[in-house]
Amino acid sequence: MENYDLVIIGGGPAGLTSAIYGGRSKLKTLLINKGTIGGMVDTTREIVNYPGYVETTGPDLMKDFHEHAKSFGVDFLREEVLSVDFSQEEKVIKTKKGKEIAAKAVIIACGSAPRMLNIPGESRLRGNGLAYCATCDAEFFEGEHVVVVGSGDQAIEEGMYIAKFASKVTVIVLHDEGTLDCNKVSAERAACHPKMNFIWNSTVSEILGEDNVEAVKIKNIKTGESYDFPCQGVFLFVGMVPATGFLKDSGLAMDKRGYIPVNELMETNLEGVYAAGDNRVKYLRQVVTSAGDGATAAVAAGRYIDELNSFNAEVLQSDKKVALLFFNAMVDESLAFSTLLEELNSEMDSKYKVVKVDLATKKSMANKYSIQAAPAVVILDQGKEVKRLECSMDKESIKAQL
Amino acid sequence: MSLEQLNPTRFEEIIYDNGDPCLVIFSRKTCHVCKEVVPVLEDLQPKYEGKFGFYYVDVEDEKALFQRFSLKGVPQILFFNEGEYQGKMAGLVEDDKVEEKISEVLGA
Repeated sequence: MENYDLVIIGGGPAGLTSAIYGGRSKLKTLLINKGTIGGMVDTTREIVNYPGYVETTGPDLMKDFHEHAKSFGVDFLREEVLSVDFSQEEKVIKTKKGKEIAAKAVIIACGSAPRMLNIPGESRLRGNGLAYCATCDAEFFEGEHVVVVGSGDQAIEEGMYIAKFASKVTVIVLHDEGTLDCNKVSAERAACHPKMNFIWNSTVSEILGEDNVEAVKIKNIKTGESYDFPCQGVFLFVGMVPATGFLKDSGLAMDKRGYIPVNELMETNLEGVYAAGDNRVKYLRQVVTSAGDGATAAVAAGRYIDELNSFNAEVLQSDKKVALLFFNAMVDESLAFSTLLEELNSEMDSKYKVVKVDLATKKSMANKYSIQAAPAVVILDQGKEVKRLECSMDKESIKAQL
Repeated sequence: MSLEQLNPTRFEEIIYDNGDPCLVIFSRKTCHVCKEVVPVLEDLQPKYEGKFGFYYVDVEDEKALFQRFSLKGVPQILFFNEGEYQGKMAGLVEDDKVEEKISEVLGA
């Protein structure tokens, strides 16, 4: 098994920024990415709001991020992560090709993927007139009638790109006439575009066609009316879903849509595991916010690794015997016991080195020693467990055990 | 190992004149899904050395070829044997699905 300080899952702007920060702070860093470097940014033709770049393309910007990360000595692995084991202090990541990688800290930055509608005809006609990427496929619809489903930035901007090739683009919009979810500039441009047409208050309930797309079934959600609408192509831009499916059984907390909640430090509910970028619960999903997340996560992970290393040096390699005291700061009895133990130890000429572990924040440490409740004391000699104390407030009993 | 890129002449030769069992991925440089699928094929290729061919067609360079198969989008993997079209796979496909299809083509 290969060992790393920091493993980053995902190669979009969040993951690459984490890699830059991890590499620069001399952490042994690996970035695992299943597809192309750059994630969803790689599919974006035009980026005009990343600071320092007045106008660039997604692939160009991500190439710069990638080169930057490589310059700091980060390792890259092109593989799909199949499962993870985050139950121990040492996190283990298993790839599809059977590789196992161990890490002290993990940053999850696997982003999101286009949402499917899960309607009849969708999987059958994919690639046969049904598409999700305008850059890839718009050209195949030269002179044809294309239906676009959705009204966000992506739907409207990609719709106008498709209109460069298609003879007509019809956008199916859920909202009332005139209401689009996209930014104002794009909405205005689309409204006066000669090839763009809109069908309001409607959804697509089925994609029809034998070998290729021939029509869509449109349903008006106000009137309930349903009808077939002929077209040769359909592009779906109906939002994104987080690509966190492989974490389902990892114990990592996620909301019901699969996004990972984190605190200000990008910490998840599991110690040493961080989430950054589009796959976390957040307000704004942009390259610049992903980069910010990536930096925060890598710095927080770096501090965690430092603490872990110093714990190992202080406790596991201590010359003196160590009394590892698990306590709970919220419980008075637990605090009183700490005082008692420290007192006893100084009476015994500090025979032990007392190291306190807060149960509330050091969950993986508690797991490592299978500690359920505080107070609890594990005696270590040369890093190996030699004894567990029966904890009580009876000073003589504790003294006898020591 | 990277896949051999076909032009129309090589395409004719391999698919129809030789009738070799093979697959051809129709792809383009700017397509991110293609960039995920091509490496999957590159990884599989050595396993089928001498038994099943793996080829690549760039749809930007070879418009005529994709129009001939009236393809609607990339990536598409087309399968051939003895000069006959054996079916295709569209979009993001996993290696085991490709292998299933290969054994189906070879077994037929």
